[in-house]
Amino acid sequence: MSKADTAALIIGGGIAGLETALKLGQGGYTVILAEKESALGGNVAKLHSSFPRWEDPQELIKVKQAELKTLPSVRVLANTEITGLQRQSGGFTAHWTDRATQKSGSLPVQALIFATGFELFNASVYGEYGYGIYKNVVNSLEFEHLLGMYEQRAIHVPESIAFFKCVGSRDRSKGFPYCSKICCMYTAKQAGLVKKISPDTQCYVFYMDYRASGKEYEEFVRQVIEERKVRYVRGRPSKVVLENDKLLVRFEDTLIGVPMEASVDLIVLASAVVPRPETLALARMLGLKTDDYGFVEPVYGSPVRIEERIFMAGGCGFAIESLGAIAQGAAAAAEVTALFNKSE
Amino acid sequence: MIETYAIRRPEAQESPIARQIREDLGIDVARCLECGKCTGGCSYAAGFDYTPRKIIQLVKLGEFDKLLSLDALWTCLSCQLCVDRCPSGINIPRIMDYLRARAHRANSNITHKNIEKFYEIMLSDIKNRGRISETIMMIKYNLAIKNLFANASFGKKLFLKGKLKFFSPRTHNIKTIQPLFRRLSEKDGQA
Repeated sequence: MSKADTAALIIGGGIAGLETALKLGQGGYTVILAEKESALGGNVAKLHSSFPRWEDPQELIKVKQAELKTLPSVRVLANTEITGLQRQSGGFTAHWTDRATQKSGSLPVQALIFATGFELFNASVYGEYGYGIYKNVVNSLEFEHLLGMYEQRAIHVPESIAFFKCVGSRDRSKGFPYCSKICCMYTAKQAGLVKKISPDTQCYVFYMDYRASGKEYEEFVRQVIEERKVRYVRGRPSKVVLENDKLLVRFEDTLIGVPMEASVDLIVLASAVVPRPETLALARMLGLKTDDYGFVEPVYGSPVRIEERIFMAGGCGFAIESLGAIAQGAAAAAEVTALFNKSE
Repeated sequence: MIETYAIRRPEAQESPIARQIREDLGIDVARCLECGKCTGGCSYAAGFDYTPRKIIQLVKLGEFDKLLSLDALWTCLSCQLCVDRCPSGINIPRIMDYLRARAHRANSNITHKNIEKFYEIMLSDIKNRGRISETIMMIKYNLAIKNLFANASFGKKLFLKGKLKFFSPRTHNIKTIQPLFRRLSEKDGQA
């Protein structure tokens, strides 16, 4: 078998899928990269600045995309949804539909990579926070869009912003028991970036604990607190009420044990990271095991192998930082390379 | 007492009162994340000596005597906001009820004797009649606190608006009420 006879299908063109496609393509393997949206980049393409070094994620996506275009063995199918997956000997048949033209078809592949990403928990479950009711209560991905406009001075930065962490995470009664892992760091980044653009804007971050376990993460959060002067408040907000166009946040400062209020213009909810329903649907077509929440799970000992010929990378496995997604994307490419060389 | 900053040594094990609450009510205070969402939402935190999060902490620390003499036990409105907001679903109002009953039975240093009286009179009314007759209950309460005209002007307003009646009939089937109280007093005997 030559490299042209083996093809890998990557489902999802976010940063993880892009990385897998790049590494396999650089190795000369045939790759089909299916992306549901019209553009590649997924969630990372929506972000402004990054932790722990304030680098530009959109630039990163651009560089990777340009590199991808130089690779002759990589086929990118934008607007393309994978609607069916079937096992066959030595691989799979994948059914696809072009969302723009409504054309559909199927193709044989010898390896599958799930790179379907994650989405955010619907915070309207919390009536007390007013998401979906008050227009100036947004989730963190919606806030990234605002950040872009603040950066370009397209709109004014508000006078005060409150960031709520653990919205749907670490909540066994209305959300999920798990910690969504990335919110502590991206919230620090968001608040820090606001202070860079507009030093006079008051930023409050409401936290239970801040979790900064990564290289340079702790230093990053300390920099945001100490140099950028973001106010960290230890307590989970309990109530948001509208008061003269402002939003009044009620909370307890749990370090002193006193109920308090803060009046802000905008509230950003760091909603829990949840799996996409599409991921679960695709996993079911192949009878793959997922965890209780619908994240796909690799076998013990491999960061990315779900089973023979099926791999994962990025947020479809669990909440992950962009750099971690890239690492998993590369690991999936290594696994596919090993598999294809074994079968050859 | 916990108000002082004398150095204490916390128990490493589940405190006796935490264990009783877990066994009697099925509520495990170990689930508490210490986030303070209960206190942040509390309708009457401003009037509390100890706020809900701190009360849970007292349970964890096993400060039983302190818990029974809490002012907050008697000023809590039982509005249920704390349990509604709690990310761990800890039923704080149920714990407050439990502590109130324990304080009442232990005849401990209750800071709001009037409120305790009110509960007594209200419950005996329900026991005997199956429902509350507000007017009679208020008269009994005023007699008990030796202030015959307490809230009288407010009562007059309610009466004129038809919100208050002189007599309310007993519930039709009083026989269904009594077993409830019997069961409760049997439970009390065990505790």
